[in-house]
Amino acid sequence: MYCDEALDAVEAVAAGDLAPDGRLADHFATCPNCSGALKQARAVEQMLRERPVPSPPPQFTARAMTRVRRARWRSDQVLDIGFNVAIAAVVVAIVIGVWIVMRRSGLGVVGVDAADMVARGLVVLAQRVGPSLPLYGAATALLATALGLWWWAERDTSSIG
Amino acid sequence: MDPLTAAAERALVERCRAGDEQAFQELVDRYKDLVFALIARTVQDRSRAEDLAQDVFLRVHRGLPYFRGEARLSTWIYRIVANACLQQHSGSTPTTSLDDERSRGRATGVADRQFGDFELRDRLEKAIARLPPHYRLVIAAHYLQGVQYEDIAEALDLPLGTVKTQLHRAKQQLRRLLETELK
Repeated sequence: MYCDEALDAVEAVAAGDLAPDGRLADHFATCPNCSGALKQARAVEQMLRERPVPSPPPQFTARAMTRVRRARWRSDQVLDIGFNVAIAAVVVAIVIGVWIVMRRSGLGVVGVDAADMVARGLVVLAQRVGPSLPLYGAATALLATALGLWWWAERDTSSIG
Repeated sequence: MDPLTAAAERALVERCRAGDEQAFQELVDRYKDLVFALIARTVQDRSRAEDLAQDVFLRVHRGLPYFRGEARLSTWIYRIVANACLQQHSGSTPTTSLDDERSRGRATGVADRQFGDFELRDRLEKAIARLPPHYRLVIAAHYLQGVQYEDIAEALDLPLGTVKTQLHRAKQQLRRLLETELK
């Protein structure tokens, strides 16, 4: 047997993966170079087996969970933004579509007339309501105060109970 | 922590998929020791190892909806660890020189046996750092309790024989790198 063959088997023999047969065992017994290599391989094997096992820091799980939550929050945000952009795009498309249809069918003129009518109606309403505005304001304030007092009284009672 | 049965593993995966945060925390607790040890032994820098280990669990969380259950959960996690470690090392070459350390050791003239052992262990770590990433990973995994040749082979997508050959070659390189110290 040549040394090359024996040296190739050194690590397997040292790890116990290969039991040296007669020829290999004889070679290791007679060749100082290969028996030295086997001794070194056994020392390496021993050191690797005794290598300390690193442990994670105590806060590892908490930190990993925080990272997972943050990543999930970010992906939710991206999803929300995507959804909102999609909704906005649909609304814009509908508005543009309606506008095109109105223009092509001649309903646009009717639309302008309708908008004028609504605007005029709002002006008339404002003129009628305008003089009585302080009265309406005072009534609203009174109602809000009454509701606030009622809410405060209810909250106080429930906290005692 | 006892290993999970296949049914318990499936149940845990299903709970995680359903968005149960407690279940995912259980998964992290169950595999963190192995994941961290494997990465820390391969990367050899604790803070980088922690960052990478957290990244692995993030990848696990993202990947769980696509996990088909064909491999065991642990094997699938090893595969993610292996990819993370190999990506981390791609393009980087080890810069530590054993010779520099050796001459420094001689200069101090240390005779104490305990310190000698410590020094030898340090040399071993430096020698491991000089190995190619694949070899480093195989060495790291093989000497962790509970990791079988089959797990490594499946995680690295290599035949069992190739894993054994890589392991023997890695140890052969280590023996050559440490030849002087071991004489």
